[in-house]
Amino acid sequence: MFRLGLRRFSSAIQQIEKDGARILRIVKKRVDERAAIASQISETMASPEDIMRLKQLKETEPIQEAWDQWVSTREALRETQVLLDDPDLRSMAAADYTMLTESLTEIVKTKFPAILVPPSRTTHLSALMELKSGVGGSEASLFLGEMLRMYLRLAQVSRWKANIVSSSDLDSGGMRDAVVEFKGAGAYDALRWESGVHRVQRVPATEQSGRVHTSTVAVVVLPLVEESEAQKEELYSMDDIKIEVMRARGAGGQHVNKTESAVRLTHIPSGVTVAMQDERSQHQNKRRAFQVLASRLLEAKLQREMEERRASRRNLVKSADRSDKIRTYNYAQERVTDHRIGLSLMNLSSVMEGDGLQDFVAALQRDHEESQMEDMLLEE
Amino acid sequence: MSLALLSARLGKRQAALEYQWMKRAKSPVSLEEMVNRRVAGEPLQYILEEQPFGPLSIKLRPPVLIPRPETEEWTIRLAELLRPTRMLSVLDLGTGTGCIPLLLCHLLPAGMVRAHGIDISPAAVKLAGENAVLCGFSASPAGNASRNTFRPIQASFLDPFFPHKHLGINPPFDLVTSNPPYISWSEYLGLSTEVTHYEDPKALFGGPDGLDFYHAIAALVARKGFLNPGAVVAVEVGHDQADRVQDIFRTTANIESEIWLDPWKKKRTVVARTRSTIE
Repeated sequence: MFRLGLRRFSSAIQQIEKDGARILRIVKKRVDERAAIASQISETMASPEDIMRLKQLKETEPIQEAWDQWVSTREALRETQVLLDDPDLRSMAAADYTMLTESLTEIVKTKFPAILVPPSRTTHLSALMELKSGVGGSEASLFLGEMLRMYLRLAQVSRWKANIVSSSDLDSGGMRDAVVEFKGAGAYDALRWESGVHRVQRVPATEQSGRVHTSTVAVVVLPLVEESEAQKEELYSMDDIKIEVMRARGAGGQHVNKTESAVRLTHIPSGVTVAMQDERSQHQNKRRAFQVLASRLLEAKLQREMEERRASRRNLVKSADRSDKIRTYNYAQERVTDHRIGLSLMNLSSVMEGDGLQDFVAALQRDHEESQMEDMLLEE
Repeated sequence: MSLALLSARLGKRQAALEYQWMKRAKSPVSLEEMVNRRVAGEPLQYILEEQPFGPLSIKLRPPVLIPRPETEEWTIRLAELLRPTRMLSVLDLGTGTGCIPLLLCHLLPAGMVRAHGIDISPAAVKLAGENAVLCGFSASPAGNASRNTFRPIQASFLDPFFPHKHLGINPPFDLVTSNPPYISWSEYLGLSTEVTHYEDPKALFGGPDGLDFYHAIAALVARKGFLNPGAVVAVEVGHDQADRVQDIFRTTANIESEIWLDPWKKKRTVVARTRSTIE
């Protein structure tokens, strides 16, 4: 028993090093490069190159610190391992051993990636979500209403301010479509992976024969750009925008008091058009249309940047096609499956009515971070 | 059910929009009653008792004229054109809800606008006063110079002695705006009942050819000392009146003007700027 246990213990460092071989190689390389830079700094600090090198040293400090921590933790773990042979100290050492193993694993799995993967440019962004019912008629509309509630609940838990910008409610219940703003840091990063087609399989309340129907709701999530942000990002120039009012008003002015506020913007270089009619004044519709335009252009820009980064790699963009089915909600089986990461939760009610959705959101974010990590490893 | 009623009256697309707006309205009136009133032909804006105008919300009550999108557009454009370096004295003729001077108060820097609005209708003056308070531009007796203010006054600007001393508004003005009644008699029959049955005829009809008030305004601004040098006069006009109103300003007041198109490409606003120095 004892020998077996020791063998299991002794393999811990090896196992961690084996699992994290690629990332350890990269970190080691970076640390070696840093040492080389440090050795090139002249004693007098006279040249402009020296200044540059100092800057590089400063920038690479976090990776050095993490590496030092790795080295010292690894050493402590190795020493503790020896103590396991001592029957008097064994039980005490075992606790330390477990703790140190966890620390070492954490450094490889979390700390190194966090330093190596560039920070998200989108963490501060709010989100604009559009839901549209697809196949399935009124059943799709009913489910859309339920999905909307699911997201509003997530917003509450996540402390985002949710605002339903527009929705076309149906007399029969549910809604044909809805647009919601989620304001707050992290909203876009969390919700962006909700884009795609959501499929529901269940017996509609209205169905007499008890037959299972399949309906769909399409979700599009865009980054929500504040006006100041739009200017900073230089997403568009006013000269490139055509503003049109829609629908004739006859003589207009005092002759007509019908509410006619629809507006359409066209961004000429990209051909992106945004039509807005949900608000009661032209001014409000125009402002909203500009916001949506900025969101669309920013999303396109982020997408372009992501593709450019990946262009040189064999691992091509994981399908971001909006027509792809991303998730299934199966009521008969109480099951929700995300098809991209193959995650199934056998507790549909907790997804629709409780905290279950957070599990998906977290898993998808983790998956994104890991794929960024993989991209980086391929680059080396 | 309600939506079906609305659709029958307004068409599907417009009904869906208006239904949403009614549902979202913070009003003690029930949705059912709103729909019934709408189906009976009452303008939506009166039912909701409010109309957005630029970033402002303007309170409404029949029969005061409902602010139109054309007016909203040219008022914003006018505010962008003005670059006040000192307090402007603004006069709005036929102010109705007060929407034009209130939006100017909102859009121009604080302390740059002291506006007065004239209306013959006591109902309009009362409502404009309420809007001044709601929008935060009511003129306080203390007269804090760092704020923009708007004060509505009941008077007739067709009166040859306008403005009487006791009104407390004294020329010269830097900006005169107006959306005067401009519908002609002949056009009356072509109007929707949503307009004729609900909105104040005194806010709509401008005499046989719809031009009565432009003659009065031109005569007013032509008076010596009525305008400051470099003052701006901006008046909304009916879809086919811009050229004739330009003529009126030229012949009566000897002022040249330009014409602004509205978003629907109709000649909507006649804007004149007087010479900046006295010759």
